Amino acid sequence: MIPAPAMQQGWRQSILYRAVVAVVGSAMFVGVLFIGITAFLTNDRAQQQSQTRLTELLETVEDTVSIACFVEDKSLATEVAHGLLKNGEVLGVVIRSKSSELAKRYRTDAPQLDAERVKRGRQTRKIMSPFNREEVIGEIILDPDPDSFDRYIGQEVRFVGFLLWIQLGGVVLAIVVVMLRLIVRPIKGMSDRLHHMDATRGDRLSVPPGHSGTEVGRLADDINGLANQLVTSLEDERRLRLQREIDEKKYRAIFDNAETGIFIADRSGRIESRNPALARFVELPAETADVEIMLYQLPWNEQQRLSQTVGDCIDGNVVSSGDFEFTRLDSSICWLNVLLSPIGGGHVQGVVVDVTERKLAEDSAKRQAITDPLTGAANRTGLEQKVLTLIRQGDGQAGANFCLMLVNLDGFKPVNDALGLPVGDLVLKHAVERLQSSLKTSDIVARVGGDEFALVLPLVRSEELAGNIGERIVRSLGRNYEVHTTPVQLGASIGITLYPNDGKDIPTLLRNAELALDRAKVSGGSRYSFFDPAMVEAAERRRALESDLQLALRHKQFRLFCQPIVDLPSNRLVGAEALIRWEHPQRGRVPPDAFIPVAEETGLIVELGIWIVEEACRQLITWRDAGRDWYLSINISGRQIPEGLTPAKIAEVVQQFGVDPQRLVLEITEGVLLADVSKALDWLTQVRALGFGLYLDDFGTGYSSLSYLKRFPVDTVKIDKSFVHDMGVNQSDRALVAAIIAMAQSLGLQVVAEGVEDETQLNLLRDMGCRRVQGYYFSKPVAAEEFDEVASRIEGMLK
Amino acid sequence: MSWRIFILATFMCLFTAGAAAAELVVITNPKTGISSMTREEVVNIFLGRFRQFPSGLSAQPADLPAAQPEKALFYRLLVNKDLAEINSYWARLIFSGRTVPPRQTLNNEDLLSFIGKTPGAIGYVEKTKVDSRVKVVLDLAE
Repeated sequence: MIPAPAMQQGWRQSILYRAVVAVVGSAMFVGVLFIGITAFLTNDRAQQQSQTRLTELLETVEDTVSIACFVEDKSLATEVAHGLLKNGEVLGVVIRSKSSELAKRYRTDAPQLDAERVKRGRQTRKIMSPFNREEVIGEIILDPDPDSFDRYIGQEVRFVGFLLWIQLGGVVLAIVVVMLRLIVRPIKGMSDRLHHMDATRGDRLSVPPGHSGTEVGRLADDINGLANQLVTSLEDERRLRLQREIDEKKYRAIFDNAETGIFIADRSGRIESRNPALARFVELPAETADVEIMLYQLPWNEQQRLSQTVGDCIDGNVVSSGDFEFTRLDSSICWLNVLLSPIGGGHVQGVVVDVTERKLAEDSAKRQAITDPLTGAANRTGLEQKVLTLIRQGDGQAGANFCLMLVNLDGFKPVNDALGLPVGDLVLKHAVERLQSSLKTSDIVARVGGDEFALVLPLVRSEELAGNIGERIVRSLGRNYEVHTTPVQLGASIGITLYPNDGKDIPTLLRNAELALDRAKVSGGSRYSFFDPAMVEAAERRRALESDLQLALRHKQFRLFCQPIVDLPSNRLVGAEALIRWEHPQRGRVPPDAFIPVAEETGLIVELGIWIVEEACRQLITWRDAGRDWYLSINISGRQIPEGLTPAKIAEVVQQFGVDPQRLVLEITEGVLLADVSKALDWLTQVRALGFGLYLDDFGTGYSSLSYLKRFPVDTVKIDKSFVHDMGVNQSDRALVAAIIAMAQSLGLQVVAEGVEDETQLNLLRDMGCRRVQGYYFSKPVAAEEFDEVASRIEGMLK
Repeated sequence: MSWRIFILATFMCLFTAGAAAAELVVITNPKTGISSMTREEVVNIFLGRFRQFPSGLSAQPADLPAAQPEKALFYRLLVNKDLAEINSYWARLIFSGRTVPPRQTLNNEDLLSFIGKTPGAIGYVEKTKVDSRVKVVLDLAE
């Protein structure tokens, strides 16, 4: 508010005063200018008028003067001059003839005048002869009265000025009154009101009457609008401030009660603000609550990395975080996760969480990732890491090599099956302990399969040393395992490779070790074997065989050959054994011994098995249609039982072809029964129930547990041809065959003797009571289309 | 009056026609001793500017009455003015009294006789009327 004295002194500042001064000033200026112009114009005009009047005057007297001059009549000239002086504007007259001055008269009452000034208005006229207009005979000089001229101009100017002043005065008065009423008074009113207005109390300006649409009215409206905005803004501001205070309190509460440590620090690590949780995490004593602390002076184990992280956060304006090891007052180690967010001004906000448990869990997980949980040995990943490390270390260093061994426990699976998994696990644990005890601490033991272990021996560089160690391990693992007081006997096969000769990377080394291991196993187990590049070639050949085998079925390269089976008591051909043949376009005829194991391992045996059943059915249909009641036996591999060739599948195929199940015989070996006894038993029972014949093939060559014969529902045993072959010359073989036949008969089983090659054998078998025989004596296996011919020949032989 | 104006106009026409045939000459007393005069000298004398001959002899101009057509013809030929203008001229000069108009004669004979017996007399007459009493000094027809 402006003090009252200032207002009084400020009347010169009022709009009214300024407006009046401006209007009057400009009116005066215009007036003076106008009068000046008038005076100038009047002067000019008056001079012209005066000239005109004098000229006219002269013209009036010209004739008379001419005569006066012609006759040089002074009295006439004087008379004329007198006449002219009667005109108030004329000051004096001079009339001259050619020879003399005829008259000179000046106003006697004229004041003394400046000759120059008089001369300026002087008019001189040549006087011509009245009878000769070309002859100059005198002149008349007329001097106008300058004072009268000035008087005239003065009068004119005064009059015009008077009129002008009256006009201007009127206009100024009108303008001032109008301004006062229309502009100044409303504005002054508004100004005064505004001066004392309190917008927050709701005071507002009123629009002066008659000004609702004018600038003054708009001004009032706009001021009111601004006042409203101001009030709204103030209200908003007040509310925001209130909200901020509430937020501040809330945040403070969160800050103080948070479980996570929170702090604000600058680049140098000076902590400007921190909460109680942080103090707990970094174990600040209570009395340091108000003491400034430095982040980097706390007992971090990697202060350099922490300050680097803070710097990254500030410089990059990005959130950065890290786990940092922290030493507690009791010297224990904990892990704190520090999450840093840039908050501008070279400051970071840090959130600290104790992640010790997570960190320990992670470390444990990392360890577990490379550890076999059962035995505590390394797992395959751990092995690969170790080997990779060794290979890297050995890079470029001559002689920096190591030995990789693969160890497999021979016969572990039957033990596991027979005695149960817990026993198997215990055996594995013992095996690992034995391995570790027979190795150096720098060596690595890894479990890479169910019963397979890999050993990495960094200090072993020679085959001799490796062989010694292999021998030691075979011996160590070959000792009895005492599990739940049950002694378990296992062998160990070992494949040995040496880096870098036997492979320069992990997959190659492992594969080669596996090949060496296979060799050890094939050679009978309980031994070690070094890798030999020839193994790779063998493996390669086998792989090629596998791929050919895959194609063989699709390309119909398999055929069934049949070897007749003869019933001795009736001297009749009763059936045949179906034998598979593989006719390969390049390899030629591949014997079943060469490809059946491969087919079994690759699983192709399943498809092949079904194909054999179908082909056998097709053959049986052909025979039936030809009026033959022959049966056909097919070989079933262990891999086909029980899932590969289910009884249901066989039944389905047989039914599909419309073959009598009794015409199809399935031959199994004793090995089938070794795998999974209960499942095999199920399979056999179902097959028998479906009406198929069941032969036990190769009887006498394997484990030949006699109890199997009782437990399994076979109806016939086939005596292996190795016994029949030597029967004629070998007394014990003959006794064995006789015993088998006797035993079979006592168990109610049929007997088929294989491999009968001559009549001696045939007669011996007939004498022993053997009913059925097959062998080269009658026929080798022949293609189906040749079988009829062979059958006729055999029938001839038997007559 | 109208008939008199008519007559005057008729006369004027007649004399103008006659003047074309007749010639006016300026005559002086032979004793004046002037053989010839310029037109300007005649003007000065008749219109009252100088009343002297170049010889210094005072000149006495004589006019014919206005009724005589020769008078109007004379002023016409001399200064190309009509008689009214000449009368106005004299009216202004008479006022001051410095000079007087030429002596009025009654007729040609009176004029001739006045000039013949007055030295310094000067007048004008139709050329045909010139006799021994006067001397021609200027032929106005020239």
